Amino acid sequence: MSLKTLKGLVPAALLALALAPPLQAGPVPPLVLAVGGEPEGGFDPVLGWGRYGNPLFQATLLRFNTDLSLVGDLATSWSLSDDRRTWTIKLRQDAKFSDGTALTAEDVAFTFNTARDAGGLVDMKILREARVVAPDTVELELTRPQITFTSHLVGLGIVPKARYGADYARHPVGAGPFRMVEWRPGEQLVVEPNPYWHGGTIPFPRVSFVFGAEAAAIALAQTGAVQVAAVPPAGSDAPPAGMRTLHVQSVDNRGVMFPMVAAGGKTAEGKPIGNDVTADPAIRRALNQLLDRKALVDLALEGHGRPAHGPADGLPWDQPAAALPDADPIAAAVTLEAAGWIDRDGDGLREKDGREARFTLVYPASDSLRQALALGVAEQAKAVGIAIEPAGKSWDDIDNVMHADAVLFGWGAHDPSEIFALHHGDFAGVAYYNPGYYKNPAVDAHLDAAQAAPDFKAALPDWQAAQWDGRTGFGARGDAAWAWLVNIDHNYWVSDCLDLGPLQIEPHGHGYPITQGLQGWTWTCN
Amino acid sequence: MDLQLMRRNWLARLLLERLIRLIWLVPLAMAGLFTLVSLAPVDPVQAYVGARVAQVGPEQRAAIAEAWGLNAPAPERFWLWLSHLAAGDFGTSITYNAPVLDLIAQRAGASLALIGTAFFLALALGFSLGLLAAAMRGRWPDRLIRGLAVVLSASPGFWIAILLISVFAVGLGWLPACCATPPGLTAAETSLGARLTHLILPAVTVSVVGISALILHSRARAVAFLESPAARHLAAHGASRLRLAFRYGARHALGPALTVHLAGAGELVGGSVLAETIFAWPGLGQATVRAATGADAPLLLGIALATLLFVFCGNLLADIAARLADPRLREMR
Repeated sequence: MSLKTLKGLVPAALLALALAPPLQAGPVPPLVLAVGGEPEGGFDPVLGWGRYGNPLFQATLLRFNTDLSLVGDLATSWSLSDDRRTWTIKLRQDAKFSDGTALTAEDVAFTFNTARDAGGLVDMKILREARVVAPDTVELELTRPQITFTSHLVGLGIVPKARYGADYARHPVGAGPFRMVEWRPGEQLVVEPNPYWHGGTIPFPRVSFVFGAEAAAIALAQTGAVQVAAVPPAGSDAPPAGMRTLHVQSVDNRGVMFPMVAAGGKTAEGKPIGNDVTADPAIRRALNQLLDRKALVDLALEGHGRPAHGPADGLPWDQPAAALPDADPIAAAVTLEAAGWIDRDGDGLREKDGREARFTLVYPASDSLRQALALGVAEQAKAVGIAIEPAGKSWDDIDNVMHADAVLFGWGAHDPSEIFALHHGDFAGVAYYNPGYYKNPAVDAHLDAAQAAPDFKAALPDWQAAQWDGRTGFGARGDAAWAWLVNIDHNYWVSDCLDLGPLQIEPHGHGYPITQGLQGWTWTCN
Repeated sequence: MDLQLMRRNWLARLLLERLIRLIWLVPLAMAGLFTLVSLAPVDPVQAYVGARVAQVGPEQRAAIAEAWGLNAPAPERFWLWLSHLAAGDFGTSITYNAPVLDLIAQRAGASLALIGTAFFLALALGFSLGLLAAAMRGRWPDRLIRGLAVVLSASPGFWIAILLISVFAVGLGWLPACCATPPGLTAAETSLGARLTHLILPAVTVSVVGISALILHSRARAVAFLESPAARHLAAHGASRLRLAFRYGARHALGPALTVHLAGAGELVGGSVLAETIFAWPGLGQATVRAATGADAPLLLGIALATLLFVFCGNLLADIAARLADPRLREMR
């Protein structure tokens, strides 16, 4: 064989190897997704697996519908006692784990009690005890009323008591829609439909999750190797052939947290508390009226986002009436003048009682999106004579200044406990919850009323009233404790042959949440 | 010691010397690294909780810290780690929730395949290009090869990786863009050929670190040989410069080339961290990045220990190879 033929053969052989026939069973091909979301610690719900999206292997007691209303999964009925401290949950009898054994009330009680005691990402300290009261009934007793405990009914996948041990996270067995074929950490997770699943049949013979950097996902999509890829906003509108771009709305939000009390205080560790400028409600309200959020979306997200007016835009517990009309510099100026913030010396900056309308806006220096937002906010604020000085810091430094400087934070969960944590006076200065020391007794009363509600749905009006009840609230119309800026769209490339069905508003965390409805996806090509 | 004995025992002497060095080097390196990790401005609990701040309250954070044993003061934790290590227990990774030794064993294979391939690729390419350049000294192939060496040594690895992906994976479609195996297949279903095609681009990326130094070194050595009286004598008898360089010059250049290359094993490891991140290669480099961002001290220390031994062995092999290639070195201290 001459050298020339050999040279020609090498790429041809490589090509043949690269294009080795994929596994094919019937007309529906196996799916490959590059959406990240690998839990490094494995697939153990007790340690926190499945809290942001589909737990794949395990079934949960309840599920959120696309519109975030509750439906039963393992539970056929669920109710809260009159003292709001005991959930009684009836279980379906046909649920089986992927090894064919039946899922019983024992397994449910075991899962909840184990999660309560585990040092993982499931915070269930409020659970006193889960106990079996009948073969198909479990009681969950709480130490005090807390309606947001519902999120555990939705989020905690049930593990089999008999099969749960040290290697469970790597070899999960559950009653969910899929069972594990192989997990190669850092590389790929391969799953197939669980034949014992109680929810119906899944058309795809196999689903694989490719992990790795965003750039790898893009390259895989461009070579046609994946059917869904999570992509960054830049360039997302130019999908490769055979794919379309999906911009999914989210509550993955960013907003400015204001210190709410006057300067002078100190925490137990000696960190300063309070800011005399942002403590003035007129400043906070004026900024909420002034900011052109649409322009911020265009500036920082290339248009792939929604203006944010609250911490939970579009979720069932959101109160749209709490927002003020924005992009209105005249209204902002009127607010400031009425409160005595006037530019007396003509330097373009307003003053009140000899104090300039000037404060620092801190953002994590490693986050280019928050930097762009901070600079954009500062630029817009100049127009009404407020000087905002953006400052990039490490999280360690932010920890030290976040009670005295405004901070650009990001939140967004399918869980109203976030609203509670961010605004309840009891959480002032606790971790990152309420760094501004916001406290309004009327708001606290609404939040407490929500937690004591008879069920999740009945709590919604109380969550909304905390934002704006017609007189007060933490929303912009009331105390304006925050100036919310944007909700980030999550961008995906999806195969033209793949129908994802209805999509929910996604929580914080780009990528894996798209799999929420995975078991209902359909293949539309032949 | 008479000359004869010294000559026979050079290897034993070298090994003993290095063993002594290892005995003081390892604890020093571990203590230094542990200090750095403890001082790093990353709170491991916060890194673990991440965006779930609102769902994980202060009580639960305390429970996590307790489960990880973070409440003890740093020197005490280091002492605990050391005493466990003495018993062969490397501890448990907090990010991966698995024994460190298992993780390293699981991932070392992928990293070694990548680094090993890159090592031999760089050696073969760099050495032969260096000899070719020496043989063609001053002519256009020499200028081209030297130019290449300079460009490669000035190019950042990630840039080369992106270039390779866009040309060979996305543009031409010849090679896969990422990962160690084809997406959608289990390890058992993956053919050896598919594994090898997936290895090519990452290995080339890692090898680039070593190639330019090898080219320039081998070239300089071969040029020195070609100008020596012996080579001039052979040339006068009609031996071509190419034959001189590859037949006789190679022997002169190989020893130093191996030394340079083996001594640079640390750079290959560094390059692999980058390549593993870009190509989603499931090796130790990927785990290192994750361990560092999560302030996962046990895993980081375990990987550092493994890397230290790896680089140490690389350097030791370099010294042995140099002594094998050049007997004069065996007698020198």
